[in-house]
Amino acid sequence: MRLLIVEDDVAIRGFLERALSEAGYQVDTAKDATGGELMALEGIYDAFIIDLGLPDMDGLNLIARCRAQGGSAPVLILSARRSVDERVKGLEQGGDDYLTKPFALAELLARLRNLLRRPSPAHNDPVRLEAADLQLDLVRHEARRGDQLLQLTPQEFSLLEYLCRNAGRVVTRTMILDHVWRMRVDPATNVVDVHIYRLRSKIDPVGHAPLIQTIRGVGYMLEKA
Amino acid sequence: MLRTTAAWRISIWTTLAFALGTGLAFAIVYLLVAQTIRERSDAWLSGEAEVLAQVSADTPNDHLYSRIVGEVAELATRELPDERNSQGQRLNSVFFLAERLDGNESPLWVGPGSSEVFRKAIQGANLGQGTPRSINVEGWPTPFRVVARPIEGRETTIYLGLSNQADMHVLHNLTGRFLQLWGGTALLGFLISYTSARRTLLRVEHITETVARIGSEDLGKRLPESTNRDEISRLAQTFNLMLDRIQSSVNQLRSVTDAVAHDLKSPVTSIRGTLESALCCEPNEKWRDSVGEAIENLDRLLSLLNTTLDLAEAEAGALRLDRGPVELAGIIRKFLDLYQPAMDERHHEVVADLEAHMVVNVDLSLLSRMVSNLLENELAHLPPGCCIHIRLRSQQGSAELVIEDNGPGFPPEIASRAFERYVKGNQSPGHGLGLAFVDAVVKAHGGAVQISERPAGGAVITLSLPAIILQPVLT
Repeated sequence: MRLLIVEDDVAIRGFLERALSEAGYQVDTAKDATGGELMALEGIYDAFIIDLGLPDMDGLNLIARCRAQGGSAPVLILSARRSVDERVKGLEQGGDDYLTKPFALAELLARLRNLLRRPSPAHNDPVRLEAADLQLDLVRHEARRGDQLLQLTPQEFSLLEYLCRNAGRVVTRTMILDHVWRMRVDPATNVVDVHIYRLRSKIDPVGHAPLIQTIRGVGYMLEKA
Repeated sequence: MLRTTAAWRISIWTTLAFALGTGLAFAIVYLLVAQTIRERSDAWLSGEAEVLAQVSADTPNDHLYSRIVGEVAELATRELPDERNSQGQRLNSVFFLAERLDGNESPLWVGPGSSEVFRKAIQGANLGQGTPRSINVEGWPTPFRVVARPIEGRETTIYLGLSNQADMHVLHNLTGRFLQLWGGTALLGFLISYTSARRTLLRVEHITETVARIGSEDLGKRLPESTNRDEISRLAQTFNLMLDRIQSSVNQLRSVTDAVAHDLKSPVTSIRGTLESALCCEPNEKWRDSVGEAIENLDRLLSLLNTTLDLAEAEAGALRLDRGPVELAGIIRKFLDLYQPAMDERHHEVVADLEAHMVVNVDLSLLSRMVSNLLENELAHLPPGCCIHIRLRSQQGSAELVIEDNGPGFPPEIASRAFERYVKGNQSPGHGLGLAFVDAVVKAHGGAVQISERPAGGAVITLSLPAIILQPVLT
């Protein structure tokens, strides 16, 4: 997978390039819209990460120009503005996505994965999820740890399902709120944590190491195996 | 309703002033005319009395005396114009009375009817000599001007009386007409001044309505400026100038907050990203912990920054609202679900009584942050084991949300200014922006927030937002 990052801030560009390379992507970078446009027109990229506030052109204009010339790869927009304006939300409906700065790297990776997976959404929609000795039956809404049936509320089941789908990857509190509660808000207190503690107390037998790990400063991760 | 309008008050005062002015002018004219009439009658009376006295003095006091004097008196009374009213009665009345002081002979009387009533009136009036005076005579509507004239050497006084009813009648008619006209003109004046004042003030009212409608969302709107440069169109121009200034300062504030946000967020983003990528590859637990803590602190700093900037914009009326219809009960219930475990952990009991189908036109993300701030506020300030009552009701076109708890309530030192920035109780763990933000968001949406004390102890936060649909939607 090959990505193009168009971002004028050298520090952000640097860490994005590093982090995305470590995550297994091939990464190219451009520091302004003009350079970005030239590279984008080569047509070799699977996705773009574009900052809205570029020095020579608005990020949205860059996207429009690329689209006008036949570019169809999905775009992840980075915005430092506090309120997300209508045009950006419109792009979200068009299949692209946006993130407001500052963002968690984990979330950027998740959204990027989501953007790149999009062409075939219906294919790998499983009816069963498994992680370690945890099994989730999405049809009957049943969760088992080993052969033990877990008594979960619908909310706890959704939370566990989301963690299972992302097993082995870190999910942030913001991502959990967005996907499980459909809220795009910043968690201010430990509301999400309390949900996780509860879930842990139900899925972990006494004396066992917790299946859901806390990654301090980032979020949570369900062990894959 | 009508009486509270300025047009009403203005026209009442103008009409009063107008009526008072014209009334006063008429009163002066009336008094002048009445005085002229009296002076004219008095001059006639004095002259005639002089003639009669002369005749009486010159006529020998024999059996012809009464006839001669009587004839002269009769002639004198005829000098007056013979005006009659609609019933044919003579309007001008004159009498002549010659009376001996010793009362030996019967008095000489020329005049209408019997002399008795006139004699009684004259005796009661105690007339001086020479100057005419007004005397009321029983049975006569207007007083008589009467002059007394003694005749030297005869021990006799003659009295000549005149009731100038015709002139008085004209004057009375005039007064009647004037009063009718006066009432009519005052009414007409009132109507004209009310209509013109109303017309002018309607333009002011139009300005008021338009300005009230120009909120933070459509600061670009302006009042129509008419071509004539009267006071009211100048008012509109002044308002437009003021709106220009407000718009430019709002824009300035927005670009400043945006610049601050942008300038701070870029370095924070790279710091956070670098820390986060360090976290992934760092095997040392202790280091990971420190890095994690640094990220958490960075997040807190950012949330504080965001809220501060939002508050600055909200308080200046510059908050950008992305409004849409939101069903309140649904969104509140979603947040209650989210906060339930946190509430349980603190052993709080949450009772929700939410009226469904109430739709408000709000910015969903701001409303969400507001609801979560309110719940966080409860979590942060209540000692364990409290009861929180959340009610949502429709109240006169508004959605009213009441959050009531049985905790310690607001500390008295902050109760009056709990919605101000950075105001918080000494024991409060927050940064004092939560309620200020709630207040700012509610006000930006045209609602109101107030805090109060529960009689049995505990805090009550009452919040109202203008609703667009209050009734259950029938499908």
